[in-house]
Amino acid sequence: MANSQKPLELILARNLLTSISTPAFLLDENSHLVFYNESAGALLGISFEETGRMDPQEWTGSFGPFDTEGTPISLEDLDITQALRDRRPAHSRFHIRSAKGSEHGIEAAAFPIIASEEGASGAMIFFWPLDENGAGA
Amino acid sequence: MKVKVWGARGSVPAPGPEMIRYGGNTSCVQVTLDGGEELILDAGTGIRTLGLNLVNDPKVNILLTHLHLDHIQGLMFFPPCFQADSSITIWGPASPEASLEDRIARYISAPLSPVEVRELPCDVSFRDTPPSEWKIGTATIRAEAVTHRGPTLGYRITEGDTSLCYIPDHEPALGASLEDLDPEWISGFDLAREADLLIHDCQYADSEYGEHIGWGHSALGATVTFARRVEAKRLLLFHHDPLHDDEYLDGLGAAAVERFTQAGGDPGGISMAQEGGALAVTASGASPGTGATARTSAVAEVSTRG
Repeated sequence: MANSQKPLELILARNLLTSISTPAFLLDENSHLVFYNESAGALLGISFEETGRMDPQEWTGSFGPFDTEGTPISLEDLDITQALRDRRPAHSRFHIRSAKGSEHGIEAAAFPIIASEEGASGAMIFFWPLDENGAGA
Repeated sequence: MKVKVWGARGSVPAPGPEMIRYGGNTSCVQVTLDGGEELILDAGTGIRTLGLNLVNDPKVNILLTHLHLDHIQGLMFFPPCFQADSSITIWGPASPEASLEDRIARYISAPLSPVEVRELPCDVSFRDTPPSEWKIGTATIRAEAVTHRGPTLGYRITEGDTSLCYIPDHEPALGASLEDLDPEWISGFDLAREADLLIHDCQYADSEYGEHIGWGHSALGATVTFARRVEAKRLLLFHHDPLHDDEYLDGLGAAAVERFTQAGGDPGGISMAQEGGALAVTASGASPGTGATARTSAVAEVSTRG
């Protein structure tokens, strides 16, 4: 069965992410991963066309986040999760794992997408890979 | 339901001897429901002439897609506004910034206007479109945000088993590939899905679009693709660029038929909106996807000039 139509603000966000080379995720209001762009796909070793939409357990289980020891970080424990629920932007550093098994240190900036007073529509999360010294690549 | 076009032009009125057949008035479409109620889609300059043709003491609902001038400029010259016995309900997009009345009053107020909204003698009310469907007379109305510059709605009007979709300002192809995207990611898809008549933005030829990306309007190729993706039964191309004269629009119309046919559409299922043109919209009477015969019977052309 076809999924229901996305809110316009998510459609526009996807169009933006499609058009830029900064790796980025698009989450809906329930933290489902509804899109990531080609640059994110290159970092993750798998394209969105291959994975399709993923629920929070799926995408955190596949890609992370992980701490520096490789231990999974619960989405609930991630500081940007709470910030987005509070409708605030957030910035954080953690590790992700690609589909090919390689780990990358990244810093991420997350922005809530708020269409109206009634509720949030989702979030955009942009990634910057870190080099081995923890600096922006 | 019956549909009559009173203004098919976009952006700014474009009168002149070279604009006679398609007309120079900006967006305004009259929808007369089988139940008798009058709906008016947008209040561009075409609404002035429409108002002159309404019966005395009319009761009308005006559905505004957005508040750009080419969609509200005629309001101040709509004769029923100046009739004490007329009743006008104006629907439009909500905004966290100001009420619909206050936003429209920026135009109908000094120094742009000699009258203020509060001075209009008619019974006028302003209402934000609700997030869910609502009823006007025998019709069910649905409004949804669509891709344009600024908060903009498209409308779907359903009466019985007949549906009309009106999206006069729309750029669904902005940063997107309409051919490949899943329907859930296409602006306006649900609104226009299998509509008996789709009235849609087609401001540009494809060759012009490169200079106008992000302006909020569609080129012919995108409009045809959108219409075919949503399986609209008939497509009326609307919101003509003010630079396009009759001769140019004749050519664009011919190209549109060719493109629509190449995309699998019925050649009789597409036409250019003309000021004064009237259509009777009826349901196909067939279940969706039953083929071209049902599609061609979806809309019977009453006249091309009013």
